[in-house]
Amino acid sequence: MEYEFYAHRITGGIGADDRFWESLEEGEFRLPRCADCKRWMWPAHFRCGQCGSWEQLWEPVEMSGRIYSWTRAHYAFDRTKERTEDLPYVVVVAEVPAADGARVVGVLAGPDEGVHVGAEVRGHIDPPSEKAKGYPAVRWSVVN
Amino acid sequence: MVNAIMRGTTAVVGVGQTPWYKRGTSGEPALKLAMRAIVAAAEDAGIDPSEIDGFVSYGSERNDGQRMMPALGTKELRFGALVWTHGGGIPGALGLAATAIVTGQANVVVVYRAMSEYRGRRLRVDVAQDDTSPQHLVNGLDSPAQMCALRSIRLIEAEGVPARTLRDMALASYHHAKRNPRAIGRDTELDAETYEESRWVSEPYHLFDCSRENDAGSAVILVSAERAKDLKQTPAYLLGAPMGAAQGWGMLEESGNPYWSAGFQGVADRLWADTGYGPGDVDVAQIYENMTGMGVSALIEHGFCTPESAGEFVTFDNLVAPNGGLPINTSGGNLAEGFIHGMSLVGEAVRQIRGTSTNQVPDANLSLMTGGPGDPVVSTALFASAAAL
Repeated sequence: MEYEFYAHRITGGIGADDRFWESLEEGEFRLPRCADCKRWMWPAHFRCGQCGSWEQLWEPVEMSGRIYSWTRAHYAFDRTKERTEDLPYVVVVAEVPAADGARVVGVLAGPDEGVHVGAEVRGHIDPPSEKAKGYPAVRWSVVN
Repeated sequence: MVNAIMRGTTAVVGVGQTPWYKRGTSGEPALKLAMRAIVAAAEDAGIDPSEIDGFVSYGSERNDGQRMMPALGTKELRFGALVWTHGGGIPGALGLAATAIVTGQANVVVVYRAMSEYRGRRLRVDVAQDDTSPQHLVNGLDSPAQMCALRSIRLIEAEGVPARTLRDMALASYHHAKRNPRAIGRDTELDAETYEESRWVSEPYHLFDCSRENDAGSAVILVSAERAKDLKQTPAYLLGAPMGAAQGWGMLEESGNPYWSAGFQGVADRLWADTGYGPGDVDVAQIYENMTGMGVSALIEHGFCTPESAGEFVTFDNLVAPNGGLPINTSGGNLAEGFIHGMSLVGEAVRQIRGTSTNQVPDANLSLMTGGPGDPVVSTALFASAAAL
């Protein structure tokens, strides 16, 4: 499969999460865990700091969790200008219990009533878009 | 046990800074602003700039010593280094300068930072260093204001710290700026109502919760405590400047713990252990506030209060000079004096020891300066007068 996000590569960060983005383009939400000690390791890294393994498994994870934190962005900064017309928009950090509480970021989809720490959210995947800088993206919606 | 090698064995003897300019208006490149600040610091110390033999900075500072030495007349460059990572590195830069001195590698070390949009990039890009991850940029998160906002929402909603503490941090800084002729925000009349009505940047942050962007240069000069005695300024002795990150912190995107942390878990404890002092001994503090809420987290992690008592401690009355329990950001800080990646806070911490602040705290003998909060690695420093050595 040809993955679109490679053409829009963002170089900041640790750089061990290619498989995350590839999976999203395949329509699957996968998170990494250590192939040996099975610890969930998020954000993705190259080596398990607990057991020393260099191998990871990328396992499908159910896209549901709770809001760990959130912010409502009212200003479009330089590198996220693509979202100017959506202002204000809410960004959610969701805690995903199926991956031992991994915290996964996504822009809120749907109404923002009920956005608060602890609120239940469900996720879906957006295909690569200009707003997400050519990457696929996780979106979270509040479960009412 | 205190760290006898570092404690009080070096001192800041010179402070120099250019005026603060609104970004893009200095008309001078950052290299020139850096040199202006360094020369001013040398003059303040009574040391010829050519004698500076060590150059230390942090973050993405690109005006390295080798670039400036021909123009400073540097006799010999003996030490030069950049401390990780962003604004979290400042007090650590002081600590590295002190390390170079006590180990005999250099004698006169300048710690500095200069930024200018003149012929340069947008300052916020310079400060972010292009190391923002796709997990952030893909999801509409670009600015530190937004990432810090996520942490402060957690502080408010999960830890129960009142949002009002953010406002009082801002009010204290703007109050102090009024008496500081150098402060960019000295004419801004900020009261609770103006604050509440100001536009949101990223909730819970209003405009007045966020630091500025300025063109400026700022520098301090360190020498050994022995040499400091013979120079013209009252020495501000460096008691300690640990840097680091505890397990559970570091580059962890949104998975660091505790999430509301400014990064000082363990680091602040080492400051108190290294120096033999505790939060109750501090007379005045410069708390790096890229955003007010992170300053509140830094106060908590330094032991001035707990999440439970933060509402009681972080009040306007308690934070203002001369009579507050802990006057903070007495020059106006990053919010109201001007932002040069936090470096101006070092100069103000030193002025409090000298007794020359425009918001002087009477008999200030212990002066704290905490580094850029929320950074994956941070640092913090304590200065003392001779009386508190």
